[in-house]
Amino acid sequence: MRLITHNMLKCHVKNCTDPDKQFPLRFKDVQLEQIDAERNNEFLVRMLPRIDWPALSKTTKELDITLPETVPGNPEDDEEFLQALHTAILETHIKQGSMLCDGCGHEYKITNGIPNMLLAEHEI
Amino acid sequence: MKEQPVADTLQLSEADKEDQYVHQVYDEIATHFSDTRFKAWPVIERYLLGLPVGSIGADIGCGNGKYLGVRGSGDIFMVGTDRSKALVGICAQRGFECQVSDGLDLPYRDGAFDFAISIAVIHHFASPERRARAVAEVLRVVRPGGSVLVFAWALEQNGRRKFDPNTQDVLVPWVLPASKAQCSAGRDELAGEGESAQSKVFHRYYHLFRKGELQELFEQVGGCTVIENGYDRDNWYIIAQKI
Repeated sequence: MRLITHNMLKCHVKNCTDPDKQFPLRFKDVQLEQIDAERNNEFLVRMLPRIDWPALSKTTKELDITLPETVPGNPEDDEEFLQALHTAILETHIKQGSMLCDGCGHEYKITNGIPNMLLAEHEI
Repeated sequence: MKEQPVADTLQLSEADKEDQYVHQVYDEIATHFSDTRFKAWPVIERYLLGLPVGSIGADIGCGNGKYLGVRGSGDIFMVGTDRSKALVGICAQRGFECQVSDGLDLPYRDGAFDFAISIAVIHHFASPERRARAVAEVLRVVRPGGSVLVFAWALEQNGRRKFDPNTQDVLVPWVLPASKAQCSAGRDELAGEGESAQSKVFHRYYHLFRKGELQELFEQVGGCTVIENGYDRDNWYIIAQKI
């Protein structure tokens, strides 16, 4: 799972609705892998509005990945920023581990890069 | 004799029906199913190729990932989810971004995506309420102004399958050739050493949509404007914009 996807996820357990807690999910015991991917600057600049930057910032800090605190004024002119963003969200893969919800404690497991987001019956 | 669809008379709860006649079946037939799902349909291809650069979307019920790679060159990004672990595994092997998830309960924050597609999926939900919930989920994960594309099997079909016009809830056979059986337990039961195994027939539950029903479903769920509706390859389809 790439970090861009993680930015879209939230905990969806029944009654777990505090937006400050259910997103972003907290990584636990993760194994990361860096896989090169071709950078597309236009894609990066145009998709920026979809990224929740505070969540991405929090998550990358937890994983010891360097990313600026805020998005620069003219991202399209900032090669260094775009490369850092590209590496963080598209080249960083979580291969094994879990994602924990700070709200309800539910643990979503990641195996061979695939998150299992299914819930038990009582959690729906 | 060719296996024919039969009317669904199963006395099961909706969840159990989906579990036994959708989820378990796809897990068993995944590889064979994937082999038969390779040609992108023109309406869907047109939709994906028309999206602006920078679009991020969800493929809900992505199966083997057939649509996840249609738009190459990294100018959009798609995440697939499917209820079948086996199919998601096939997606992952192909290098696509994918997760195991149920369409009734998507793990995404509201309005996360620019677009969502759900191709030949919602007909597997076993009640009107569950089908409405599936459509509501597809819409929920898309931002205001974003669009969704949904395809569902039609009652009125022109192909090989012939359906009784009075029966919308059916069980459709899938014949798994012996050579493709992936459930080792099944193979052991059917084949001894040196003996040839038989093929196995599975039945999948479908609710076939009659003309107009898919549009009614979207109107009932609300929060969207229908942009396009049509019929293609034995399916009704809708493109809708989230309000």
